[in-house]
Amino acid sequence: MIWLQSISCNGNAHSFFNHPHLFSILSSFELVYHPLLETKYNLIEVLEGNLECDILILEGSFKKEGFQKNGVEILDIAEAYASKAKKIVVVGTCATFGGVFKEADPTNISGFCFNGNDTTERYKKYASKLIALSGCPIHPKWLSYVLMMFIKNRPIPVDEFHRPQELYGITVHTGCSRNEYFEWKIDTKGWGLKEGCLFYENGCQAPYTKGSCNKILWNDTSSKTIVGTPCFGCTEPTFPKANLFRTKTNMGIPATMPLGIPKRAYLTATGIAKSFRIRRFEERIISYDD
Amino acid sequence: MKIADKKALKRESILLTSLHLFSIYGFHKTTIPDIAKALKMSVGNLYNYFSSKDMLAKEIIKYTSDVIGSEIRAINMMDISTDKKIYKIVEVYFIMAKEKPEMIEYFLRVYLSNREVFNDGCEGMICVSSFITEIMIFFDDGVESGALRNQDFFSAFGLFMGYLGGMVFLKGENVLPQNIEFYIDDISRNIFNALKA
Amino acid sequence: MMIKKLIEKIEGEAELDFIFNNNKIEDVKINFGFSRGIEKILEGKEPFDALVITPRVCGICNHAHLLATVRALEDGYRNAGIKVDLSNKAIDIREFTLACELIQNHVKWFYLTMLPQLEKMLEIENQENHALKASYLSSTITKALAIFAGQWPHSGYAVVGGVTCDPTYVDMLQAEGLIDESIKFFEQIVSGVTIKELLAMSSVTQLQDIGGDFGKLLYLLGSSGMAEIGKSHDRFIVFGECLCFKIGKSIPTQVSTINPKYVKESEQENTLAKAVHYKGRQFEVGSLARGMIAKEPIIKALHKRYKDSLLTRVFARIYEIGLLLDYSKILLNRLDLSQPSCCVERSMNIENFEGIGVVEAARGSLIHKISVKNSKIKNYEIITPTQWNLSHGDDVEKGIAIKAMVGSKSIKEATYIFRAFDVCSVCTTQ
Repeated sequence: MIWLQSISCNGNAHSFFNHPHLFSILSSFELVYHPLLETKYNLIEVLEGNLECDILILEGSFKKEGFQKNGVEILDIAEAYASKAKKIVVVGTCATFGGVFKEADPTNISGFCFNGNDTTERYKKYASKLIALSGCPIHPKWLSYVLMMFIKNRPIPVDEFHRPQELYGITVHTGCSRNEYFEWKIDTKGWGLKEGCLFYENGCQAPYTKGSCNKILWNDTSSKTIVGTPCFGCTEPTFPKANLFRTKTNMGIPATMPLGIPKRAYLTATGIAKSFRIRRFEERIISYDD
Repeated sequence: MKIADKKALKRESILLTSLHLFSIYGFHKTTIPDIAKALKMSVGNLYNYFSSKDMLAKEIIKYTSDVIGSEIRAINMMDISTDKKIYKIVEVYFIMAKEKPEMIEYFLRVYLSNREVFNDGCEGMICVSSFITEIMIFFDDGVESGALRNQDFFSAFGLFMGYLGGMVFLKGENVLPQNIEFYIDDISRNIFNALKA
Repeated sequence: MMIKKLIEKIEGEAELDFIFNNNKIEDVKINFGFSRGIEKILEGKEPFDALVITPRVCGICNHAHLLATVRALEDGYRNAGIKVDLSNKAIDIREFTLACELIQNHVKWFYLTMLPQLEKMLEIENQENHALKASYLSSTITKALAIFAGQWPHSGYAVVGGVTCDPTYVDMLQAEGLIDESIKFFEQIVSGVTIKELLAMSSVTQLQDIGGDFGKLLYLLGSSGMAEIGKSHDRFIVFGECLCFKIGKSIPTQVSTINPKYVKESEQENTLAKAVHYKGRQFEVGSLARGMIAKEPIIKALHKRYKDSLLTRVFARIYEIGLLLDYSKILLNRLDLSQPSCCVERSMNIENFEGIGVVEAARGSLIHKISVKNSKIKNYEIITPTQWNLSHGDDVEKGIAIKAMVGSKSIKEATYIFRAFDVCSVCTTQ
């Protein structure tokens, strides 16, 4: 297994490093190179392009030319190993779609096989062995899932972007601790409150963002929406959008609907929910004053 | 004709007849026996369709909301500009006021004026949701396309509906010198000018 | 004679050109080849979007960037006349999560770099899996961070006026449990002494009481003759406001105040990293700087004997882990959860403002400067700690890390000195 970084912040490497069973998972692999862990080969040897590679992990966005390490164009070396590898896993939204760093040079920087919603010229070559784990960063257990499925030789059902359906088939909204407030259209009244939903005003994109953040919790304990931070839609090709802390509304109606819900259906349900005042949802759950 | 269809037709005729009687004699003065008599039904049979006059009152509002709602939905689906849609909505509303006055009259003079009848089972706007949803879709499309200014929903809604309701009220009082169609053009232009981006 | 070397595993890579004269290193040129352009990406964005973008500068110190951004925004709001008074709860929660990130950072540096690299250099066989210790501590401490901040890496939980979380005592106790686990691990495996004992040390002789992996590192440095190498200008600076550290400069032991307006950046030749200096002079940032300015007794004592050598520098950083673990428990226990989490209206929108936010990140002072016009970011500047330590300097004065390497006889040794500064390549080129 080779973990190769392109234009990256290293967030995915650090996230994976936090896996509670990191070493037992890695014991099934020969780690040829990794940006944090001590490995038999160093980067200069990797960049020569002659090392064995069954699984190639790519992190960071790609530039056709102009991004080198030790005089070697990273995209070229990535393709050299990609051709050899049996499996390619792109980790992070940058490697999948282009992500944050694509914004510095949208014409020349993209993901490995996808450029936003479109495919790149590399897609045809590598699609048959590609698994994409978008996210900024990825959760360590998403990668361990893919790696262990490889070990057990099980096929991984994927969506149109080659993201595993078991992880990306649901929305981030599934399992959020604020679901009841969403159901009854109770907006949270500002920042820093556990009561209320973040979708109506606070910019939360969870109802239309694919991901399992509220099912496989972050750091095994939490998630953005649980602690009152809106979901920023980081697993999607459009990340980052603009105005991430505010919900775009047209006359108070959210501009983007929950995934797959027609506007009429949403508005009818909203109208009904809003017609009733549920006392419990208007009150704070805990009071600390005696 | 299937039994289910027959029942549906009967149900609708009860609603329409009630509306008609309410508009002539007033909501409170019209009784269930009056309605049954007009339909040549037994009172007991009428109670099979609607368990009380209040229940009937709520079903009528949902019915009228559905009728207007489906007209506005058809307009929303049209591939025309926002200002033309406003014209068509005003037109539909005013023509309905002219040809089926009892429906709009009912909304203004019964629904809005007898809230206690509608409190339980018609909370908030649930009984008019089919109509409100279509107005929301209209506003959403208008802002999304850039034709309308983004603003608070109720400010825009109040302007639009308050204006139309006011004109229909005046018509009902026989105060308007012209036929109601005469006013469609100016009123839709005023509405568009007030709401446009 | 010049020898080029690619140094990796420094949150990216850097190319070092070692210039030898008479078998000793006379100068080092440090080249960072690629800038990802975060400062440019931020231009034209909504101010709050910076809270999401700046953490993406770095995978290991993203939380520090988040807090530097929110402080810059809050400074800007205050400059525009808005009252921004965070509750003590919000301040303490932010300090707590920042302390967690620093601890995770120091631990990784120790167990992934300093200890194994030294053992390798001295050809000491060791079957221990140091990385496992780093992974365990890192995942434990970042879990405590995530209880409040939602996730690590790349949380977005700090907003103008406070934090988005609304924790309960269940959360606080869970976090405390994780800190206690980390303390137990630190005391048993890392230091061999309790944190209380470590923080009470005040003389160099007490260092021999330190056991564990920390004790081993100190011993190896001492016995291999590496304790006194790596001295630099003996000048330190700390900009970040924090309840645990003090702001100021120390030359070498004379502590005085500072003014951020004297901080200046400049372009450098052959590298995309910018240089930075204070009143034209080079200053070291990081754990040693913080220890010197706060006048920690054991740091003072070590410095008296060893100046700003490799030993003092390395000691200061691992010592700081103990300091931060202790501090984080204090923070948790004084949280008053009845206080509001955020004191500024969500809908508040200030169209024009300028602000500076400073935070003590793991490697030293991190400075963010933001200027907003017509509700959009007009300019955003990030000055990272590595820029301070790795500036090349000029003919008058070499940069901090370079001065520390000058005089060294081998690239291996110089590289180790370099790693003691814990360079963050991705931060430096942003």
